Amino acid sequence: MDGYTVGVLTNIGLFSFLALSAYVLLVAGELSFGQQAFFGVGAYTAGVATAMFGWPLAAATAAAMALGGLAALLVGLSTLRLRGLYFAMATLAAAEMARILFELLRWQREVNGERVGPDGAQGFRGIRWVFEHGMEAGGFLALIYGVLSVLVTALLVLERSRLGATLRAVGLDPEQAAAVGIDIHRIKLGVVSAAGAVAALGGALYAHHNTYVEPRNFDIMLGVHALAYALVGGLGTALGPLLGVALDVGVLEGSQVFAGYRMIVFGGVVALLLVVRPRGLLDEQIVNALTRRGWGLR
Amino acid sequence: MLADLAQNTLDGLGAGASYAVLALGFTLVFGVLRLANLAYGPAIMLGAYAATWVSLHAPVPLLALAAITVAGSVAAGAYVERVCFAPHRRARAGSGPAGAAAMAAMVASFAVWMQLEEAATLALPRHLYAFPPLTTGPPLSLGPLALRMETPIGLGVAAAVCAALWWMLYRARFGLAVRAVIERPAAAGLSGIDVSRVSAAAFAVASSVGGVGGFLVAATHGQVTPHLGMWTTLKGMLAMMIGGLGSLPGAVAGGMVLGVLESHSQWYLGPQARDLTAYLLLFALLAWRSRGLARRG
Amino acid sequence: MGSAVNHVRPWLAATALAALVAPPAHAQRADASLACRATATAHVYDCVLTLSRGGKPLQGAGVVVGVDMPSMPLAHSVAPVTATPGAAPGEYHFRLALEMHGEWAVKLRLSGPVRDQLILHYDFDGTRASPVRR
Repeated sequence: MDGYTVGVLTNIGLFSFLALSAYVLLVAGELSFGQQAFFGVGAYTAGVATAMFGWPLAAATAAAMALGGLAALLVGLSTLRLRGLYFAMATLAAAEMARILFELLRWQREVNGERVGPDGAQGFRGIRWVFEHGMEAGGFLALIYGVLSVLVTALLVLERSRLGATLRAVGLDPEQAAAVGIDIHRIKLGVVSAAGAVAALGGALYAHHNTYVEPRNFDIMLGVHALAYALVGGLGTALGPLLGVALDVGVLEGSQVFAGYRMIVFGGVVALLLVVRPRGLLDEQIVNALTRRGWGLR
Repeated sequence: MLADLAQNTLDGLGAGASYAVLALGFTLVFGVLRLANLAYGPAIMLGAYAATWVSLHAPVPLLALAAITVAGSVAAGAYVERVCFAPHRRARAGSGPAGAAAMAAMVASFAVWMQLEEAATLALPRHLYAFPPLTTGPPLSLGPLALRMETPIGLGVAAAVCAALWWMLYRARFGLAVRAVIERPAAAGLSGIDVSRVSAAAFAVASSVGGVGGFLVAATHGQVTPHLGMWTTLKGMLAMMIGGLGSLPGAVAGGMVLGVLESHSQWYLGPQARDLTAYLLLFALLAWRSRGLARRG
Repeated sequence: MGSAVNHVRPWLAATALAALVAPPAHAQRADASLACRATATAHVYDCVLTLSRGGKPLQGAGVVVGVDMPSMPLAHSVAPVTATPGAAPGEYHFRLALEMHGEWAVKLRLSGPVRDQLILHYDFDGTRASPVRR
């Protein structure tokens, strides 16, 4: 596989974590413009763990997910009773605050005679764990997709379970769900934390792929794109967001056909698509139709 | 010490005037028209970019540049309205602000946001372009304080726009039609109001207010950047929320408060603290509001 | 000619954090600087990279160059290019095809005498690349 294809596939894989993070919240009925902040939390946490304290990647990633989930929970606790647009604005404010805090974060340690660590707006260089352990781009690509497969499988299993149905019920009609006795608030808090952890997982992998992160990487545009991918790909299945990412990063960008005009094309596609399919390409209707026919159930 | 406080407040009021006009526009869109339009700021940016483009090619008077900014914002706004909000209008009529059609419209608006940003950077690719300043010449000396002439001009414009909007919404027939369309769309249609014409016209009014705000921002800063879309969105929404969503005088007050708050926090704590304070305020306001909802629900 | 933007200090010791990495025993960090000129094609630049280590020019390194935009990571796919050694010692040439103006993070993957990955920030404005200091 040539370097270019590896690069495109890596970008798709990493972006998919963020898109899945937005997707999970959308299914539960919440629109978040702030998932990129948890992507950043994951990136910085994992980077600090491996580059400054020599932790192995797995442990660093676990720590990243824990912190991402916790941060998301804190935001959720303050904001979850807000409706639609207000919740979205609160997540935007929280994400921008996080980004500014990253710009103020200066914490360095001497490792092997070199100062390593986040250096405010200059960024965090030297996250070399993957590099130093002899992993090449192709190997890391396999790792990304391995982790992604586990995550997507887990989500697909969850969707077929009672919890998944409850989640969708909460998202599509919260009043109805509350009427049948579902604890909306607790479910949503759980989803918010899970979404934060998923984003942080992606961030941890991103930091190690890039060997360098800076606060500017985690700006609003990243989150907005992830949201768009989830919505275009479809809210009916966890494969939807992946489709969305693949369409933009893979097809539109990867093919280089629309060099310089890609956002105009993608934006137009999204806006027009939403008129006919407000829940995306792989929405609940089509997924139900496909699975019913394919699995011969019901 | 006291002089610093006074000077910062004065400067803050100057910046606040631009924020106030932006907030008025956002209040119209989000509060009155009840549209979650994320392409509003980018449409303003496009207007400012159109004026910038013209100013780069010909020496045009400032007032003409203002007109071009407004025209550009209105044109971009019409595109947004057609693509993002008109198609979903009928579906949206039934459900509340978090309804599926409303969400689809909101998402479509940020798709168009991305389009407008790319279009702007294709036309004018550099990071920064100079914009003719609102006033040339030294600031007025009021004792130990310096009054930049942008401040009274901006305040005057904000007051004028607020008054005009208030009259239009609450005294003129058009405003009655707008409010009817928003609150009782089915009844409005039945009583002979051309819903789509009124919606488009209201949107155009909101876009032109945005254009005025955008011109003020560009002329007081003396420059435009591709980030203007996001910047105006954040400042406008923040000021609108501070003033209480839906109130026109509140929007002006919110703009002033934001301007003064930013000015002081930047002076004492630096630019990052300035932004941090603004977001913290927005977050706190929303969280407090959410607690209010919790108590009731 | 751009000045060295790499933040890594020259008085470094060995990087052998993991035993898995192949020799050498003390891998001193490399320093790099970049000079780019625009070509007739829009957003395409001809670049000259100067590599040194410990103050001396670094020859015979394999250099693969990738780019990413800091403000929009993962969104741009620019094919990585392999640099070819130039006339002067420590010099490497390559052609960079970007997508737009602005600040790009240029990622250099070095192999051979030094295994390292350097990231340089340069602002590409259509005529040249200027180093960015924040």
